[in-house]
Amino acid sequence: MPNTYSYCGRIIKGVVLDITGVLKESGPNGGTAINGSIDAINRLYESGLQFRFCTNETTVTRHHLVNQLRRLGFTIEEDKVFSPIPAVCQILKERNLRPHLLVHKDSLPDFKDVDKNDPNCVVIGDATNEFSYDNLNKAFRCLMEIEQPVLFSLGSGRYYQEDGELVLDVGPYMKALEYATDVKAEVVGKPSLSFFTAVLKDMNVLPNEAVMVGDDIVSDIGGAQACGLAGVLVRTGKFRSRDESHPDVKPDDIVDNLAQFVDKLLQHSL
Amino acid sequence: MAGSVKAVLVDLSGTLHIDDDPTPGAVEALNRLKALENIRIKFVTNTTKESKRFLIARLQKIGFSVQNEEVFSSLSAARKLLDDRQLRPFFMIDKKALEDFEGISQENPNAVVIGLAPEEFYYEKMNTAMRLLRGGASLIAIHKAKYYKRNDGLALGPGPFVAALEYATDCKAEVVGKPSESFFVSSIASLGCVPSECIMVGDDVNDDIAGAQAAGMRGILVRTGKYRDGDENKISPPPFRVADNFSQAVDVIKELL
Repeated sequence: MPNTYSYCGRIIKGVVLDITGVLKESGPNGGTAINGSIDAINRLYESGLQFRFCTNETTVTRHHLVNQLRRLGFTIEEDKVFSPIPAVCQILKERNLRPHLLVHKDSLPDFKDVDKNDPNCVVIGDATNEFSYDNLNKAFRCLMEIEQPVLFSLGSGRYYQEDGELVLDVGPYMKALEYATDVKAEVVGKPSLSFFTAVLKDMNVLPNEAVMVGDDIVSDIGGAQACGLAGVLVRTGKFRSRDESHPDVKPDDIVDNLAQFVDKLLQHSL
Repeated sequence: MAGSVKAVLVDLSGTLHIDDDPTPGAVEALNRLKALENIRIKFVTNTTKESKRFLIARLQKIGFSVQNEEVFSSLSAARKLLDDRQLRPFFMIDKKALEDFEGISQENPNAVVIGLAPEEFYYEKMNTAMRLLRGGASLIAIHKAKYYKRNDGLALGPGPFVAALEYATDCKAEVVGKPSESFFVSSIASLGCVPSECIMVGDDVNDDIAGAQAAGMRGILVRTGKYRDGDENKISPPPFRVADNFSQAVDVIKELL
């Protein structure tokens, strides 16, 4: 069975897939599968290619996210899913940091083993409705009181699509805290280099042998390209036509959806 | 000194008064200033929730003689900008400030106006603002302060929320309050004089003095309010003059005439 393919002028051995906006549209109860995506994932399994899922989703636990995807009909294993919360928990442990959390309450179980007493850093995730003035103010005060303040942001996305409308992601709130405190956030998750590097290492492929598929022109495509991967934009999820003429980021390819990407990728096996 | 003086702009809090007390000799000094012939006066202040009516009532209570048309605040500047460009605002400002915007249509908004309004900065309202801005609305900030002091400690100002919306939408906010040049220029629009004929008196070396001087006015820094030793050395060009307080600043102005 071939396990390398030619695409975007590269020899591709590994595929990195965004989840929300590529596999599924977000919405109540885990959202809905995007047409053709379930079958596209199954064809990737059959292709023999290495692939991983790489999400900045932090409104639920990783376990819950995988269960949602399975309920929608996707074949997916939890250890193939890279998300920012397990990554930040690892960093907190290594650096002996105790966080004040401004995160979605449904993601809290993923932080259960983290010491949160007497905080000496702030972790901010996609808290949605919990992004109130008071909650943001608490995080702000915490940063102002810490002697050497550290701010972790779980992703830096600007907005995403929810129930057919764009809503603010964690990035703008990260910027708000940066502006108020003059502390520069450390981004955990896409588009950080260390996040993509961990995914590639897990697949044992080099950056120039990998392709990232996503609906976020800046975080997915720009982030992946900056790390040496090819970046392919899908016209689903938060995609807007103006993204095709983005001033800074030029995708290696633009496809209608994940199914079309898999069609094109698997056309030329080596 | 070359250049005549036709108008004097006076900052309020920290310059004319501190809380409910006038700075030394300020009530009498204002009367002396008003007695001068051919000198117009504007009280200029950055506020996001105190309406003009509220500001005047407070000044009169302290003992100052103030007319409605003599007050120009950052809210007035926002109002003028909305009127001049016929913008229909989506407001994220304190309810008390709304009276300065009476009569403006808020239907089908094409501008987002942000002041200090903690109760307006909830997630859904921020989302609505983001969608309007992505749809081409203008972003107007009354001011962009990072934080302010509240009885229970530091609290976020409007600046962080403006920064959030700027990042989300690639818009650049237009800041209408001090120290923006347009604030100073707008404040004298009804006076029939040019910036070089104006003196600005204030206690904030950046917002009052550097801002006014960038607009072509002369600035007199007073050593009251938030003034700290050495403030006059923090800007280039330095303040036109430094005075101990507003009363002494009036003496300086009289010598210029």
